[in-house]
Amino acid sequence: MKGFFKDFKTEPMNTLARWQDTREPWLLFAITSVLLVLIAHYVFQDWMHMLPCEQCVYIRYGNLVMALGAFIVAIKPQWIWGKIAGVGIFLYGLIYTMLCSWKLIKIHDAVHSDDPMAMFGLQGCSTDAKYHFGLPLDKWAPDWFKPTGDCGYDAPVVAPGVELSDLQRWFIELYQSTDGWYLIPQWKFMDMAECCMLACVCYAILLIALLWAWVRRDFLTK
Amino acid sequence: MFKKFLVTAAALTCSAMAFAAPVEGTDYIVLDKPIPNAQGTFIKVYSYDCPFCYRYDKGVVPVIKQKLDKELKFLDYHLHTKGKYGNEGDEVLATLWVEDEAAGRDPVAEGSMHKNAKFALYKAYHDQKERWDAGADAFIKTALDAAGMSRADFDAKKQDPKVQALVKAWKDSTYDVAKIQGVPAFVVNGKYLLKTAAIRSIDSMVDNVRELSKK
Repeated sequence: MKGFFKDFKTEPMNTLARWQDTREPWLLFAITSVLLVLIAHYVFQDWMHMLPCEQCVYIRYGNLVMALGAFIVAIKPQWIWGKIAGVGIFLYGLIYTMLCSWKLIKIHDAVHSDDPMAMFGLQGCSTDAKYHFGLPLDKWAPDWFKPTGDCGYDAPVVAPGVELSDLQRWFIELYQSTDGWYLIPQWKFMDMAECCMLACVCYAILLIALLWAWVRRDFLTK
Repeated sequence: MFKKFLVTAAALTCSAMAFAAPVEGTDYIVLDKPIPNAQGTFIKVYSYDCPFCYRYDKGVVPVIKQKLDKELKFLDYHLHTKGKYGNEGDEVLATLWVEDEAAGRDPVAEGSMHKNAKFALYKAYHDQKERWDAGADAFIKTALDAAGMSRADFDAKKQDPKVQALVKAWKDSTYDVAKIQGVPAFVVNGKYLLKTAAIRSIDSMVDNVRELSKK
């Protein structure tokens, strides 16, 4: 990894082209997307009692699709068809996640706005999740894929009789006081959907850089 | 010159009218299973546990009602499948609806028992983040207190066949409508479901509802 940064400074494109031939970047994509879903479920949903909304569960699905695509590339990164198929699946997951995040950003703004007209052109949460390809994910794993929250609202809701640890209580009260989760709660800066979008933008930038370096080396400069 | 002006004006009017006509699939969907006995109505399927319903009820529906009050009857259909106290919501709101109608009040108008209770539930849930952890009785109390009805009165009146029939009518149709695109869901004449995401302004909503009500 140390060598990578040194090489990257002197010849960035070739270094990226070499790097995308290894499993590293693809496993990085795959593991971080799975990690995001795990954090969403275990930390935000289970530990902080924030209920996932319809768009939130779609974002989980999108993240897992991205992970699947990245894992396919990681099987053998030099294999061109594996790369094309894997990147295709990854891109589908990424674009879908971005669309859902964008929708959620707008819904979040609308429900927190004082202007009743802010919600025109939008739709609230559906009572039933509809996954692509008719996948019954919410039936297979309701804990993970069944929406239970309201779109745009992610302040923790603790069921009665639940014992909270001091740390848990501190976080929960913090996010309740700001009426939802923010990266920097004091400033209400970057809500959950905006952070999802930011993660997607990071993925997209890295993916474009890797693909461009690969195409340039193997197809353009030959 | 004048003739030319007339032709242009006519063309403009036509295009404006063509533009205003609601398009099936874009602006509305025809329900496979229409809501029965709903000719001449504007039905709002909603839940107390739905932020967009609260916002529509606060800022949009009253304005629409004002503009279309003479043409359509405005009805609320509460959805029992959303929210922890969906079924209790049905019972208490239906009881108050029937009570309002019996007293000659419009249940969706300002000052009615039904509207007072509905807004008390909305405000408690969305503004004060009340979740009625104490149970269903606490939920019902919020509604009844706002409406000014005693619990004993409610327990007796909810048995009224009229109330039971209304609850049944809600339960029979709300879920089938709500599962299409969520709530709030607006249905004209029991058949035409507005696509909420296609609503761009109050005026266009009024125009579309008016056109659909004539179908």
